[in-house]
Amino acid sequence: MSIIQTHGLTKVFPGDIRAVDGIDFEVNAGEVFGFLGPNGAGKTTTIKMLNTLIQPTSGTAVVTGFDIRKNPAEVRKRIGYVGQDIGVDEYGTGRENLALYGHLYRLDSRTIKERIRELFDLVDLAGYEDKIVSTYSGGMRKRLDIAMGLIHRPELMFLDEPTVGLDPQTRVHIWDYIRDLAKAMGVTIFLTTHYMDEADQLCDRIGIIDLGKIMTMGTPAELKQSIHGDVVTLSPCAAKEDECQEFIRRTESALSGKPFVHGTQATNGQLAVYVDNGESAVPSIMRLLSDAGIEVKTISVSRPSLDDVFLKYTGRTIRAGEGKATTYAEIQRKRSRRPQ
Amino acid sequence: MNLIADTWFQVGRHIRTQVRMPVWIMINLIQPIIWLVLFTQVFKSLSQMPGLGGVSYLQFFAPGVVVMTVMFGSAWSGMGMLQDIDMGILSKMMATPVTRVSIILSRVIASMAVLLIQALIILTIAVIMGVDIATGVGGVLLTILLVCLLGLGFASFSNGLALLLRRPEPLIGIINFAALPMMFLSSTMMPADMLPGWLDTVRHFNPVDYAVVGVRGLVLEGYIWSDLWRSFAVLVAWAVAGTAFGTLMFRRRAE
Repeated sequence: MSIIQTHGLTKVFPGDIRAVDGIDFEVNAGEVFGFLGPNGAGKTTTIKMLNTLIQPTSGTAVVTGFDIRKNPAEVRKRIGYVGQDIGVDEYGTGRENLALYGHLYRLDSRTIKERIRELFDLVDLAGYEDKIVSTYSGGMRKRLDIAMGLIHRPELMFLDEPTVGLDPQTRVHIWDYIRDLAKAMGVTIFLTTHYMDEADQLCDRIGIIDLGKIMTMGTPAELKQSIHGDVVTLSPCAAKEDECQEFIRRTESALSGKPFVHGTQATNGQLAVYVDNGESAVPSIMRLLSDAGIEVKTISVSRPSLDDVFLKYTGRTIRAGEGKATTYAEIQRKRSRRPQ
Repeated sequence: MNLIADTWFQVGRHIRTQVRMPVWIMINLIQPIIWLVLFTQVFKSLSQMPGLGGVSYLQFFAPGVVVMTVMFGSAWSGMGMLQDIDMGILSKMMATPVTRVSIILSRVIASMAVLLIQALIILTIAVIMGVDIATGVGGVLLTILLVCLLGLGFASFSNGLALLLRRPEPLIGIINFAALPMMFLSSTMMPADMLPGWLDTVRHFNPVDYAVVGVRGLVLEGYIWSDLWRSFAVLVAWAVAGTAFGTLMFRRRAE
C-alpha cells in the first residue's frame, strides 16, 4: 500500500526556475524511503510540497490518503515534519516544547503527559525534560526536534536532512533513533540526505534526485547492481585543469569501443571506468594507455558504492557541491548544459 | 474553539519567553520612569506657561509616557516573529494543524499583556510622584482600553512588516524611523495649542495623538465624551487596519 503517490509534481519558482520538474513516485507504507541528491537538487522543495508548506505549481500528490491540494488540513493531522533547521524554542524547556505541539495536534493533557514520558525515553533525553533548551547540545536539540514531530503518532514522518551539521558520532546516534522509531512505532519515514552512507544505512529504498528530476530509484542493493562489475578509477599526473581535461579526453578515446569497458565518467579531474572485472581489466587498461603514451598517476579498483551510482546517474559526485550554496543561477546553467 | 485553544497555548509560550528575560522587562520599565523623571525636570519651568492650564508638567506628561511605553513596546513585537522564521520554528508549526491566524494573534496578545502590566506600573509610579487621576478607577480602565487598541495596531503592523521584510535590519530601521516622529508629531510633549500650525494639522493623522488626547483628558479633566468617542473610533480603526495588514501578510507568507 502506498502512503505517498505523486502525479507530475512540479514547483516553478519566480524566474522560471523549475526546482521540482514533474516527478512521479510512490512510497510504501512502513518503509524508510530516502531522497538522495546534492544541495539544490529539489529535495527540500519536494518535502515542502508533500507536507503542505508550499503549493505545487502543477501536479499533485496523495499523502496519507488525502490530496495535498484539496485536503491539506487532513494531511497535516497525519504527518510529522522535522525540517533542516532545528525548529525548537530555545527559551522553553523540553517539556514545554513537546507540550505545545501536543496541544497544537489537539491531544488532551493526560495523553500529552504520557507521550512526553514515552518520547523522552525514545530519544534518550529522560532527565532533561525541565531544562531550558538553550542548555541542550546540538544533538540533543535535534532529538527533541524529532520527538516534537512524533507527539501525535503520525503515520508518516518527513525528515529533511536530519543529520546535517552534526558531528559524526551524533549522526550515528540519530540514525539509531530513526531506525528505532521506524520499527517501534511503525512510522513510514521519508528522509532527504546528501550523505551516501546515511542513505545506504537507513533506507529500504532510495530515489536519486537531481535538477528537479528523479534519475533512478530502487533499493540500495539494486542501485549498486545497476552498475555492472567494478569501478576502475584513474587519476592523471597532471595537476592543472586543462591538462586533466586533456588526460580525460585522451584516455576516454583510448578506451572507447573496447568490449570490457561499459562506460566512463569524468569527475574532479579523475576518470571512473566501469568494467566487468576490475582485476583483469587493469592490465588491459594499462597496456592501452601506455600504447597511447598516456601517463597515469594512480589506479584503483573498487566495488560500486552509492557514490558511483550517483555519479553514473547525475554525472557528478555528490560531494562536489557540498558546503557551497547552490544558487538558482547555477542550477539553471547546469540544466542548460544537460542534453535534453 | 480551536482558534481560542491554539492562541491560548501560544500566548503561554510567548509570555514565558518574555518573563524569562527579566533584563528586557526591567529596561522597558526603567526607560519610561527615566523619561517621566527627566522630562519633568527638564521642562519644569514650562509649568508657568499658559498652554498647560496651570497643571504641573509631570501631570501633563504622565499620560504621554504611558502611551509611549505601549507604542515602543508593541512596535518591537515583530522581532520575535522574525526569530521564529529564522530558526525554522514557523515552518515547523505551519506543518501542524494549528489555525493559521492564532500564530500572529498569540504574538499580539502576548505583547499586549506584558505592556498592560507595564502601563499599570507606570500609572502607579506617576500617582506616587503626585499625579492626580481625575476620573479614578474608571479612567484607568478606559486608559487601558485606549492603549490596548493603540498597541494592538502597532503590534499587528510590526508582525506584518516582519513577515513582509523577513529580515531584522529593515524592520529595526522602520521602527526607529517611525516611532520617534510619531511621538513628536503629536501633543505628547507639548499642549496642542502651543504647537505650530502645520504640526497641529499633522497630529490629526497620527493615532498616537488620539491615544494621548484620550488618556490625558481622563487624567487631567474628566470624562470629555466628545474627545473620548473620537479617540476610540480612530484607535479602533487603527487596530482593525493593523490586524488586517498583519493577517494579510501572514496569508501571503503561508501561500
